[in-house]
Amino acid sequence: MRILEEPAFVLHARAFRETSLLLELLTREHGRIGAVARGARSAKSRWRNRLQPFRPLLVGWNQRGELGTLTGAEEVATLPPLKGEALMCGLYVNELLIRFLHRSDPHPGVFSAYQALVGSLSAGEQIQPLLRVFERDLLQDVGLGLQLDHEAGGERDLDPATHYEYLPESGAVPRDNQADSAHPLVSGEALIALRTGQINDSQQRELKLLMRRLIRYHLGDKPLASHDLFR
Amino acid sequence: MNEEPLLEQLIEALRCLPGVGPKSAQRMAFHVLERDRDSARHLSTVLSKACDVIGHCADCRNFTELERCRICASASRDSSQLCVVESPSDVIAIERATGYRGKYFVLLGRLSPIDGIGPAELGLDQLKARLAEGEVSELIIATNPTVEGEATAYYLQEMASQQEIPVTRIAHGVPLGGELEYIDQSTLAMAFSSRQSLSR
Ligand SMILES: [Zn+2]
Repeated sequence: MRILEEPAFVLHARAFRETSLLLELLTREHGRIGAVARGARSAKSRWRNRLQPFRPLLVGWNQRGELGTLTGAEEVATLPPLKGEALMCGLYVNELLIRFLHRSDPHPGVFSAYQALVGSLSAGEQIQPLLRVFERDLLQDVGLGLQLDHEAGGERDLDPATHYEYLPESGAVPRDNQADSAHPLVSGEALIALRTGQINDSQQRELKLLMRRLIRYHLGDKPLASHDLFR
Repeated sequence: MNEEPLLEQLIEALRCLPGVGPKSAQRMAFHVLERDRDSARHLSTVLSKACDVIGHCADCRNFTELERCRICASASRDSSQLCVVESPSDVIAIERATGYRGKYFVLLGRLSPIDGIGPAELGLDQLKARLAEGEVSELIIATNPTVEGEATAYYLQEMASQQEIPVTRIAHGVPLGGELEYIDQSTLAMAFSSRQSLSR
């Protein structure tokens, strides 16, 4: 199979053989793919500086079996490079995608969300609320979505004034006291904010803890390495 | 059944060298056996000795066969400047090209969470302790301008500013003798955004 001019981002690149790179790419129509960029690490490669994360590319590759062979990579636009905290968040998101998306499993919605997120990170927008919405949508897209429309059991709407224990398999269970819950409680107000995407400063922390716990739950034994970088 | 196990083993062993595929390994093996057995014996002695004796400098992590490397042990190097690089070859490059008289810290890698390389793997605890000793008054970051090199730089910058140590970063941009029209977009964007004032 020969693919031409497909919108893509490099999620990760690692040295492969003497002068090549093994790339994990997020593509719009083909999902995450693994591809070898032959000779990309040699001094005269035209790809040498281009195959870096967070740069919108148009790529071509030949796919035979598990790994593709890169045939082309053009930079579509130059975004200001990610810096500081935005860069760390970008690396976190790349790890998230590598862990949650299987190779050659198309998720065009995730691609669009990622494209927008990279643009926002590059423009220096406020990062944390964007990350929560991205995590919410990614989990939804891979079939692990949160239940944010109603309480666990489905009979009552989420109440902004109630506190909940959020359980990954059943949803938000009302709790009167923190002592009744095995996990930090999260307010109905914050869960509703996560649903609408209108997250304010006072809800940041509980939502960050909630998403971190759910991601850890879904990833099982091997937690995200980039969580260590965020302390 | 394999009739020549040693020959096979030799060819296979040579393939651990960078850039050596099966064909080149076979060529090398036949070359030393046909006409250069003495050099090969010498290589094998030196190789084995180097693997036993060469370790890492206690101060900068660079390769050395002593407790401290030549640069760290030198009284004429300035301990108030510390330049952080990714690899031993970066030390050699800076030593050749510049008149830098400070010291180094060699990370032997760069932050790459996906590959399991975090602060601990890069000896950053050791670097932190070094900064806390108070002798360093300028931390010069010379990691590569790749995404992972930048992430490493950011981490180092945070670490140094927690201890209120001034941080500088080597400049990146247009190569000398290069022409703007042939430079890739990202390099030019980087050079443009880190422009310097020329007015006095
Ligand atoms: Zn040393």
